Amino acid sequence: MLEQDFPRDFGSLEPIFGFVRSFLAARGIDDRHAWDLDLIVEELFTNMVKYAPGRHPIRVGLDWERPVLTVQLRDFGVPAFDPTRAPKPDVEAPVSERRAGGLGIHLVRSIADALEYQHRDGDSVVTVRKRLDP
Amino acid sequence: MFEIQVVEQGLVRLTGRLDASQSDHAQSVLAELHHSLTLDCAQLDYISSAGIGVLMETYKRLTARGQTVRLVNLLPRVRNVFAYAGLDRIFTIE
Repeated sequence: MLEQDFPRDFGSLEPIFGFVRSFLAARGIDDRHAWDLDLIVEELFTNMVKYAPGRHPIRVGLDWERPVLTVQLRDFGVPAFDPTRAPKPDVEAPVSERRAGGLGIHLVRSIADALEYQHRDGDSVVTVRKRLDP
Repeated sequence: MFEIQVVEQGLVRLTGRLDASQSDHAQSVLAELHHSLTLDCAQLDYISSAGIGVLMETYKRLTARGQTVRLVNLLPRVRNVFAYAGLDRIFTIE
């Protein structure tokens, strides 16, 4: 798995998107997949920045085992915060009752094939797998 | 890179990537607009939940005052995000 640490700040998003694109290009993966992967990584990263009281950079990892791409984010030294248990937003509700909260993880679930969470050795680890069509 | 440009009264052009690092900027521009809006998304490459949240708040604020919000010229991948969020049935998307 190729890993890189990014400061827990929204300003890290652009370097993270660059990291994703470099990873895809180096493996000859069509960059049309980058949009979905950017969305997955952004939603997971910003969730950690907003809701986890971490003080360390967040590690973003990417792995490619054809045809499955794995995205993993590790937040060091934080209490358990399991996004897979986040309440699902009611996407059928009238807009007046809609809240933005929970939408990001809902988008990740809509795009990805698997979303897993582990709290191990004091770290929060979120792993997403997505099958990429040729 | 993200740009939001008020082209003329009621017409706003969104360009680039509306992610969490740009949503406050988008919100501050849209908050100054108080009449019906057409958002031209032809050059909007990417949107995340943060961007969706800004557009949703704008929609709520303006429709509560009897105004309308239209999104036009969405790229398929941007339109898909609205569909996943269940907003393709709420916003007027053309």
